Amino acid sequence: MPDTRHFVMEMGAKRARMAASPAQKTPWLPRWMTSEHPLPWLLPATALMIVFGLFPLVWAIIESLYKRNAATRKLTFDPAYNWTKAFYDDRIWNAVYNTLIYTGVALFFQLVLGMLIALLLDSDRKGYGVLRALMTLPLVIPPAVTAMMFLMMLNGSFGVIAQGIIALGLLPENFSILGSSNTALAGVLLAEVWQWTPFMVLIMLAGLRSLPKEPFEAAAIDGATPVQAFFKLTLPMMSKVIAIAVLIRGIDLLRAFDYVKVMTDSGPGTATETLSSYAGRIYFGGNPDAPYAATIALITLIIVIVTSSIFMKACKVRL
Amino acid sequence: MELSKPWQIVRDLAAVIVTALFTFPIFWWALTSIKPSSAIFDKDRVVWFDFVPTWINYGVTLFGQSRSQIAIDSGIGMGVAGEAAYDSRRSIMESIVISVGATTITVIVAVLAAYALSRLRFRGRNAFLNWVLGQRFMPPIAILVPLVLMFKFAGMRDTDNYYMGLVGLMVLYSLINLPIALLLMKSFFDDVPKDVDEAAMIDGATRWQSFSKVVLPMVRGGVAASAVLVFIFSWTEFLLSLFLTTGIRTIPVKIQTFVTSTGNEWGFIAALGTAAALPSFIFILLVQRHLVRGLTLGSLKE
Repeated sequence: MPDTRHFVMEMGAKRARMAASPAQKTPWLPRWMTSEHPLPWLLPATALMIVFGLFPLVWAIIESLYKRNAATRKLTFDPAYNWTKAFYDDRIWNAVYNTLIYTGVALFFQLVLGMLIALLLDSDRKGYGVLRALMTLPLVIPPAVTAMMFLMMLNGSFGVIAQGIIALGLLPENFSILGSSNTALAGVLLAEVWQWTPFMVLIMLAGLRSLPKEPFEAAAIDGATPVQAFFKLTLPMMSKVIAIAVLIRGIDLLRAFDYVKVMTDSGPGTATETLSSYAGRIYFGGNPDAPYAATIALITLIIVIVTSSIFMKACKVRL
Repeated sequence: MELSKPWQIVRDLAAVIVTALFTFPIFWWALTSIKPSSAIFDKDRVVWFDFVPTWINYGVTLFGQSRSQIAIDSGIGMGVAGEAAYDSRRSIMESIVISVGATTITVIVAVLAAYALSRLRFRGRNAFLNWVLGQRFMPPIAILVPLVLMFKFAGMRDTDNYYMGLVGLMVLYSLINLPIALLLMKSFFDDVPKDVDEAAMIDGATRWQSFSKVVLPMVRGGVAASAVLVFIFSWTEFLLSLFLTTGIRTIPVKIQTFVTSTGNEWGFIAALGTAAALPSFIFILLVQRHLVRGLTLGSLKE
């Protein structure tokens, strides 16, 4: 290690020496405008985040403090109105419930399947590399396209998955999985789990590959079964990796929108309505109530921040 | 761990079956894209391969061919009017322009900020990093309502000015991808020992020179990985494009318009969907080595 580092330093110095121009110091510029100061480096990122991130967020918060009169379309300042309305809105509670169920179920399946598939594919044998590459395929498909794909495959009259389930006798003929409020969420979750399980597989594989070999050899000598080794060694050593994967996936799941919008458009009724899709429906439906839509969107943000903070505290992880 | 011979075969089989299950929808999708619509909708033929392959779905969506003309030429005889609505060439161009633009902006902005956050010590450094991370946590829907009003006010909607509409989406995609690119690049810069900069600066290079001539060439792999991830996330983005623009339709939004009141054009949907997945897949294979690091915002290294 010290050798390569020394070599790198040599290289660096050589390149810089070649690069150094005669006029190295620019005394006419104040220090904060030179590359010694963080300001010029951070300015583009800061500008982007203020203008298109922070400013709209503050605007949304202010917007949520106004009451919109549906008939006159006038806004009046009434800070508590939207937030109390939200508290007594059954549809919000339904959306919160759906969002949490969606997140919980998807995380559970993605995590368990991801771990199992990673264990299965973690081999140096010939051909496994190809299998691992194929597993990344679902990740690159636009979620809105995946949703369309599953919409077709779940179609009760000609979809291949629906036909398969019907052929097994689990569902009646021509049953519409996405059209029934009992099964619609399961249908949407199928697309979600299919697309993002490979994400977990990739991360778990990376985690498995970074594990030290010695404890497993010692355990095998002591006569531990593979199952014991998994629960006593692999899982504890992978806990940080698992926590990071859950955190990143969880953030995205809590703001689930694409699959729900395309596959069921929150329906039937409000059976698959998540917080993001509810906010979208309020703002982009007829007679849009912008302040109320902003309030719902902010509730989504609050839920994401609260759950992820609790998770990060409890599991002692940070990104 | 060594498995006995029969168990090894079981494992190989299981691995192949699981992978096949996960690739099946894509295979099915590609298969549908070369099916004539008579075979797509026929439930008795849906799981069989007894159809005559056709390129008509690609011809109409990617090359703007007229479906009725193809039908007449080939003698399949399924002339339906309104094929212009399925010509997706403009959507593809718009998607490319927006994704490439967003990738360029994001990578430049992120590399600059990441270098400073990795190398310079200053007050508020951690606060800035937390702000960036917080940006990643923010659901796009939370800023959507004000953004619509903002763009209306600034004349940046695509109905006001087509090019401003493109720029608007580019900038927004840069914003939502900035945290990934920035944190990923920071993890790559952190891997380069500080001695490298110091050696360069002792030899008289300025900070900028040591960055652009020495450190940046050493993290080329990281820049490529960030660029690919930003490109894919821009390419696949749906919510902002759906709600912010009306004339500009990126591919994920365009594909939704194939669902019509007279029936869904699954053949066209499948063709455009397959074509849209190809570039991302090629790119992702190129940076497979850094993929996990990118997906976990630089916190896990392979």
